[in-house]
Amino acid sequence: MFKLVFAILTGLFGAALLHIVIILSLPHFSDRDAYTRVSDEGDENHFYMLDDKDDDAGLSNTDPYMRTAVCAFDIEDKPVHLTAKGKVPFWSLAVYDAASNEVFSMSDRTSVGGALDLLLASPVQLTGIRKALPPALAQSILVEVPRTQGYAVLRTMAPQASFDAAAREFLSEAGCDEFDNG
Amino acid sequence: MRKRPPGLFPTKISAGPPRNIKADQTANDTSPAGVSAANRLARPTIASSMAAALARPALSPIGRIRNKSTLICHEDDPRVFRVPLLVALSLVIAFGGGIVFTLLALDATSGFGAIKLGAWQAFPEMQTADADPYAKSHRARAGRLLYGTAEGLVFTASEDDAGGRLTANCSYRISGQTPPARLWTLFIAGNDGEPIEGAAGRPSTINSWVVLRNPDSTFSITVSRSAQAGNWLALPQAGNFRLVWTLLDSPAASNSGLIDLGMPKLEKIGCGNV
Repeated sequence: MFKLVFAILTGLFGAALLHIVIILSLPHFSDRDAYTRVSDEGDENHFYMLDDKDDDAGLSNTDPYMRTAVCAFDIEDKPVHLTAKGKVPFWSLAVYDAASNEVFSMSDRTSVGGALDLLLASPVQLTGIRKALPPALAQSILVEVPRTQGYAVLRTMAPQASFDAAAREFLSEAGCDEFDNG
Repeated sequence: MRKRPPGLFPTKISAGPPRNIKADQTANDTSPAGVSAANRLARPTIASSMAAALARPALSPIGRIRNKSTLICHEDDPRVFRVPLLVALSLVIAFGGGIVFTLLALDATSGFGAIKLGAWQAFPEMQTADADPYAKSHRARAGRLLYGTAEGLVFTASEDDAGGRLTANCSYRISGQTPPARLWTLFIAGNDGEPIEGAAGRPSTINSWVVLRNPDSTFSITVSRSAQAGNWLALPQAGNFRLVWTLLDSPAASNSGLIDLGMPKLEKIGCGNV
């Protein structure tokens, strides 16, 4: 019947509309996105090492050769200073905002002397720091982060089992501390 | 525009043939005001007209009117369920279909920004703010830690070069050269992208430091259930699998199309015990 077809077409139109609404709003409402999982690891401003198996928050080293550490931060009050150093064949860092969009990434090739020394700050904080650069940040890379909340992912590679100890030491000594300016 | 037949108006339905209704109408409402008033009374609501239209082939004797200003619908009339049923059908299709279709779409694809080199597929922009809404929804739901643009690029193959699904029953050979990268890793993954369990003596991972290369720097890796000489990755007993290749510190991740990239060939060399 014509009315039945009309009802089905209305339903299909509603399904298409609902599909678009869900796709566009899912990132806002998702409670298992990466930022929520990193926040569930523990307190902010601390690098948590991940295992090869999913932990309680649902995160793991997705690659058998990579060792990963994550740190959630909030730069509303103070900027965050990321530091790490060690003898590892490769390390890389990526900084994401709370919506898991990439803000910044680098590897050890673009670092100064192979050590990680990075300052994450909001534009206002950066202006203040650039006017009078503290000596502690003399060799730091200054990165502007537009949103206040986010997380950083530090990865290193252990190509063979003998590199494992150096990788763990590198990640466990990595720092994700608030930077006190003066 | 054709005037609606009197049969659509519930107030006009009676057990008799339509010409009786016309006779009644013309007999009782001769003045224009009267006719328009009768029409306004008789103008159907959408509900009643849909109900009446559906019921048109079978005029029920219950429908005999006493007074042309009362509506026909009696509570015992099964036609009262037509409209709620249609509305319910629309809503079920809209909500159920919308949700199921969305979940299927999110599970099937990781967005539209894929680059495909032979059997290998990568999503260089999935972690950025430039990703399309499907990619952003997919990554919000999966919640994995993705590689940044300066970190590396992950290629996944779920089919071989000929298009056949990768299954553990068959053997495959990966040969050639990767795009320039400082390091790379390759592992066998299940359908969810997680590395499979390795057993002692059955390596399921390899990286660029341990791979054995030919004199011209190309390499050949055999992926099969039984051990092979040279580079070998051990498959599980049964099931479909994927191969995940991660290029670390590679210009391929931020490639703007200027470099001609090529990934190694992935070909099936036999199935079963052949």
